[in-house]
Amino acid sequence: MDFILPELGEGIDEATVSFWMCEKGDKVNKDDDVIEMLTDKATFNVPAPVSGVLKDILVKEGDVVKVGQKIAEIGE
Amino acid sequence: MRKRLPDWLKKRIPDIKATEETKNILERLNLNTVCESAKCPNIGECFSRHTATFMILGDICTRNCRFCAVKHGVPLTVDNDEPRRLSVAVSQLGLKHVVITSVTRDDLKDYGAGQFADVVNEIRKHNKDTSIEILTPDFKGDINCIDHVVKSRPDVFGHNVETAPGLYQKVRQKADYNTSLHLLEVVKKMDPEIITKSGIMVGLGESKEEVLKIMDDLRDVDCDLLTLGQYLSPSQNHFPVKEFITPEIFEEYKKLAEDKGFFIASGPFVRSSYKADELFASAKQSGKFCNNLKEK
Repeated sequence: MDFILPELGEGIDEATVSFWMCEKGDKVNKDDDVIEMLTDKATFNVPAPVSGVLKDILVKEGDVVKVGQKIAEIGE
Repeated sequence: MRKRLPDWLKKRIPDIKATEETKNILERLNLNTVCESAKCPNIGECFSRHTATFMILGDICTRNCRFCAVKHGVPLTVDNDEPRRLSVAVSQLGLKHVVITSVTRDDLKDYGAGQFADVVNEIRKHNKDTSIEILTPDFKGDINCIDHVVKSRPDVFGHNVETAPGLYQKVRQKADYNTSLHLLEVVKKMDPEIITKSGIMVGLGESKEEVLKIMDDLRDVDCDLLTLGQYLSPSQNHFPVKEFITPEIFEEYKKLAEDKGFFIASGPFVRSSYKADELFASAKQSGKFCNNLKEK
């Protein structure tokens, strides 16, 4: 399924990728923290929305990502 | 690329469903919050607790402080229905403690004092058990304006000194440190039963000695409550963060402030209104303050 950047708070439209806590091919569990995102005012750990395998990583450290943008693919 | 923030500036992703009810009420009643306008990092947490800090007199400020994300420019006409709608929001959100702040309105004859008083009176009329905290601009030190607001008898009258006087020229050019202190002094003299409150941001380049001096200056004017939080730059175009203050230093500031006689909230994400209900409650529980302002 599409792993999209969820809402981080009212008025926050985008965030910068700080670092991935796992790699392509890793098994992840629902609600495990998998990526750290930065805004000007806070750091957020974003959890995996479902359990599965991280099949495709679409953004890298330093990329600016919009809320709602797809950042990875999680498969069976 | 945005710089990494220290580990202690981590936030949980907010429960968006829990924040939606607050958001819907605010939208339906066409009310502004400083939470949204100033891009507060605590917004998810506070909205999901059904709290928010209302911002009256529009969302455009007549000043241009370099640490603040609130829009500045030509301000809006005063909305005379705002006090009523705000009072409705307090009822719908079930707020036991409400905080109201505003943009600065140097363009108005009364600098917005009338609207503050109207809001306090309107809330009190329909929400008798709700304690009311205001966080005001400096009203340019105008005694009549301050008096008008004091007469509405908010439970807490807050005004932030924000930072050390030595930094005002860099970040708070249109304000004056002594005017801010004087406002707090005057409020206390006009009505000693009103609890006064002020807030400081750290990490703007102030020294520890400067922070302690601000605390002393505030105690000299009998300020009761204090908040201390980490300055975070709202964008790349705002004043940069000069230092990330560690949780240990915040704890140290807290102890020093308590020794000086403050009730204080101190921590990286603390803001003037963050969990204001809890700070107010702890101050009331101390027995130091009059129990029911409304009855007098």
